Amino acid sequence: MWVRFVLGLLMTVVCLGIAGRRAFFLYRVGQKFQPLEAERRVDAGSAVRAEVAEVAFQRKLLRWTVPGVAHFLVFWGFMILLFTIVEAFIGLVKADFQIPIVGNFAWFGFIEDLFALLCVLALVVFTILRIQQAPKNLGRRSRFFGSHIGPAWFVLFMIFNVVWTLLAYRGASINAQELHDPANADKMGFLHGAFASQWFAAILPKTNVEFWETFFLLLSLGVLLGFTVFVTYSKHMHIFASIPNVAFARRPRALGALEPVFWQGKKIDFEDPGDDDVMGVGKVEDFTWKGLLDFATCTECGRCQSQCPAWNTDKPLSPKVLIMGLRDHSLAKAPYLLAAKNEAGEVPEGGIPEAAAAEAAKPLVGPQGDESAHVGEHGITGEGVIPFDMLWSCTTCGACVEQCPVDIEHVDHIVDMRRYQVLMEGAFPEEAGIMLNNVEHAGDPWGLGRSKRLEWAESLDFELRVYEGDKIPDDVEYLYWVGCAGALDDTAKRTARAVATLLHEAGVEFMVLGEAESCTGDPARRMGHEFLFQMLAMQNVEVLNEAGAKRIVVTCAHCYNTLANEYPQVGGHYEVVHHTTLLARLVADKRLTPVQRVDAAVTYHDPCYLGRHNRIFAAPREVLGAIPGTQVQEMPRNREKSFCCGAGGARMWMDENLGERINQNRADEALATKPDIVAAACPFCITMLSDGVAQRQQEGTAATTVAVTDVSEVLLRSVRPDLVDSLSASS
Amino acid sequence: MKIVVLVKYVPEPTATWKFAPDLTVDRAGVEGRLSELDEYAVEQAAQLAEKGVASEVVFLTVGPAKAAEGLRKALAIGGDKAVHVLDDAIHGSCALSTSLVLAKALEKEGYDLVLAGMASTDAELSVVPSMVADRLGINQATFAGELSVDGGAVTIRRDSDVASEKVTAALPAIVSVTDQTGEARYPAFKAIMGAKKKPITTWSLADLGVDASAVGLGAASVRTVDVSPTPARTAGTIVTDDGEGAAQLAGFLADRGFI
Ligand code: SF4
Ligand code: SF4
Repeated sequence: MWVRFVLGLLMTVVCLGIAGRRAFFLYRVGQKFQPLEAERRVDAGSAVRAEVAEVAFQRKLLRWTVPGVAHFLVFWGFMILLFTIVEAFIGLVKADFQIPIVGNFAWFGFIEDLFALLCVLALVVFTILRIQQAPKNLGRRSRFFGSHIGPAWFVLFMIFNVVWTLLAYRGASINAQELHDPANADKMGFLHGAFASQWFAAILPKTNVEFWETFFLLLSLGVLLGFTVFVTYSKHMHIFASIPNVAFARRPRALGALEPVFWQGKKIDFEDPGDDDVMGVGKVEDFTWKGLLDFATCTECGRCQSQCPAWNTDKPLSPKVLIMGLRDHSLAKAPYLLAAKNEAGEVPEGGIPEAAAAEAAKPLVGPQGDESAHVGEHGITGEGVIPFDMLWSCTTCGACVEQCPVDIEHVDHIVDMRRYQVLMEGAFPEEAGIMLNNVEHAGDPWGLGRSKRLEWAESLDFELRVYEGDKIPDDVEYLYWVGCAGALDDTAKRTARAVATLLHEAGVEFMVLGEAESCTGDPARRMGHEFLFQMLAMQNVEVLNEAGAKRIVVTCAHCYNTLANEYPQVGGHYEVVHHTTLLARLVADKRLTPVQRVDAAVTYHDPCYLGRHNRIFAAPREVLGAIPGTQVQEMPRNREKSFCCGAGGARMWMDENLGERINQNRADEALATKPDIVAAACPFCITMLSDGVAQRQQEGTAATTVAVTDVSEVLLRSVRPDLVDSLSASS
Repeated sequence: MKIVVLVKYVPEPTATWKFAPDLTVDRAGVEGRLSELDEYAVEQAAQLAEKGVASEVVFLTVGPAKAAEGLRKALAIGGDKAVHVLDDAIHGSCALSTSLVLAKALEKEGYDLVLAGMASTDAELSVVPSMVADRLGINQATFAGELSVDGGAVTIRRDSDVASEKVTAALPAIVSVTDQTGEARYPAFKAIMGAKKKPITTWSLADLGVDASAVGLGAASVRTVDVSPTPARTAGTIVTDDGEGAAQLAGFLADRGFI
């Protein structure tokens, strides 16, 4: 008894000591990062709800049924095993220990053993999945491509070891009880139900039972403690880190609005910034400690990577590899961060290992045209921690955030790095500068100017009410925010006319801002140009507040997101509806009656900023479904899993010359459903998908009759077929 | 070597312009900006400073109070300081009197090389650099698509439809540059903040010794008689090809004297 106690204690102290030292080290590194943003309030209620949903019920994991259920079993297996582990630890000093009350019952032992076996079953599933989906077989298409493969296998092996050694110990314990203390054989009631432990009891030698009991007890604790140490040094950190990470995550999700720029936890005032304020993230420690926690929590599961439009079109961006790269860099740079600095804020020569000094000297984002930059199976190479093209390939579609089971905030991190590049360095894909200049001076990304903002309405068959500087009259129900595309892009102008006509048809009184409207600032903000965004937002909010706007209807998914979710940050609080929501309501209320049959197979594409970012999935489908004759179809990737058109994140305004074109990939997916109409609800998606479909039409692989159009235009065909031609002629 | 860049704060070309009762553009009613064409000159000056060719870069503008914003934009791209000639009496000046004010300001400030854009995006006259050269009696080299400065002389490439000329002018000289010289950089926010700390000196006509009666609307060499909106575009002609399409197109062009 003494020997096993001393050995057990020694093992425990050593292993927990190592793990604790590692945890303290990570904590100290985290302290070198920025404090949390002042506006990130973690309210206990939503944190608890999130823990229950994401951790306890594994909500996001279960979206992928097979690996989800397997993970659920391992998670709950370990939760139940905790009891067994407690029993084992106390077994060090008290061989016949049983957990009070429940320990008396056979069913308790049964449950413990059942979950242990289910855990093993899950391990078998994981093994099969890992073999099937090995990067060796699937290459870039594998979600594990770029993950640490060896350590992942080791984790599976160790979990297996933890389970069987615990069961073996319990088996040995049963033997010991029965042989040495027959009078007490009934005492540990739970062991009667511990059927798997009994199997071990049956095969273990019946001699030297106490020796075997001690042996397996120490072995199981050794395996467990060794595993714990390994965990704190590996991607398996998530078993601890995910709990605080979920608690401190942005709620309801890190999608929709972007946060303003913070420095030292305070919002930066662009009118009068502090001299030393750093805008965005230029060094890894400019992330908040929640950022570091994100990096440490990543399980390398690759769910994000499997959905990423950039990755799936062979671009050098995988959200997983990006997060892993930031983690590796943070840890490699840690000695530098923790080292004592001299007065100039530098680490004295030789004060830290050379490798750490070299890592600290690396720019966070590499230069444009860096030939050595590569994102591959073994992570990232190149002059910067994150290659230039990796940073700029992101469309901010949010598919990664949507998928991540541990609530990592990829889009926020990417935009924060872009912010530094744009605001502090002036470094970004050059062609996007044209858009920024246009937005700044002309008020729209094309640079056409305010004077052209009403031309779209010239062929309307009714008088459009235009805001002229006085308060919006009371009889106006909605302010119609036409958006730059709706006002200026030829295809989107058709949508603007269709929506205006439908509203008029339904008897909805509405008004447009005309020349007083300008770009919402979405492309500037997604590019990281927060200053320009703030300027535009404040200017628009001033106009809207002066006009007394209360309810706004929008046709662009990006405008919708900005007006509804981001303008409150600058004092603009409105009730914003997307035109598809409003149209669905008008149809349901019988204020619009689709009369004409539209015999067409319609495939609907979910715009990222309408669907994932704003959860509007049903309304556009309701509108399409309400039209007699339509057959509404889905692409394989739909709703939450919709695949980006390639225009978001200001990518619309940048060249796309790496890999396959995203819009082509999506257009091909749509064409594979054999549609007559591909419908979307955002002008940028429509431009992108039109281009992709036109390409195939030119090549002769798609029917020339396939049309790409807005949901409202399909509805117009049914409600006012007589107007379709006059409103779709370009003006 | 000291470079002075002439820049103009113009009404935003894509906006709707309104005209004041005196038929000048109502500057209060329209946003303004640093003329896009002048940004090329600003960029060239910034590059010459970065190459160590220029030791000092100064931006000079003549314009209303808000023209200082144009100077700030230029200072965000590069340069050391700026001069703003601001005087109510200048309102409505024509190119000739503007060139007088600029010449006087240049004399007062001192320069080795003067850079300017190829034209302003509002009046689009392209004559001011030549007028300034004449008033100062210095060399001029206009419409430079490329420029370099070497040992007391500036050399430019000047492209026309038929030839590409290489022209060299001894300093002091004035050079106007075209959009061929290369897009101006997009200033980072840090540079914009930095620009706020660079000095802008304001001079009045009196500071320059220019008599107010020599400039302004009254002294203008051209007079605006009337302002009316551009007539709306008329609908185009659509030719449907019924086998005769080519002939119809040719006919359309022939009618208008294109072929
Ligand atoms: S937001 Fe979209 S494009 Fe960007 S990393 Fe995530 S999945 Fe990829
Ligand atoms: S970021 Fe999230 S989804 Fe992506 S690999 Fe890491 S844990 Fe998985």
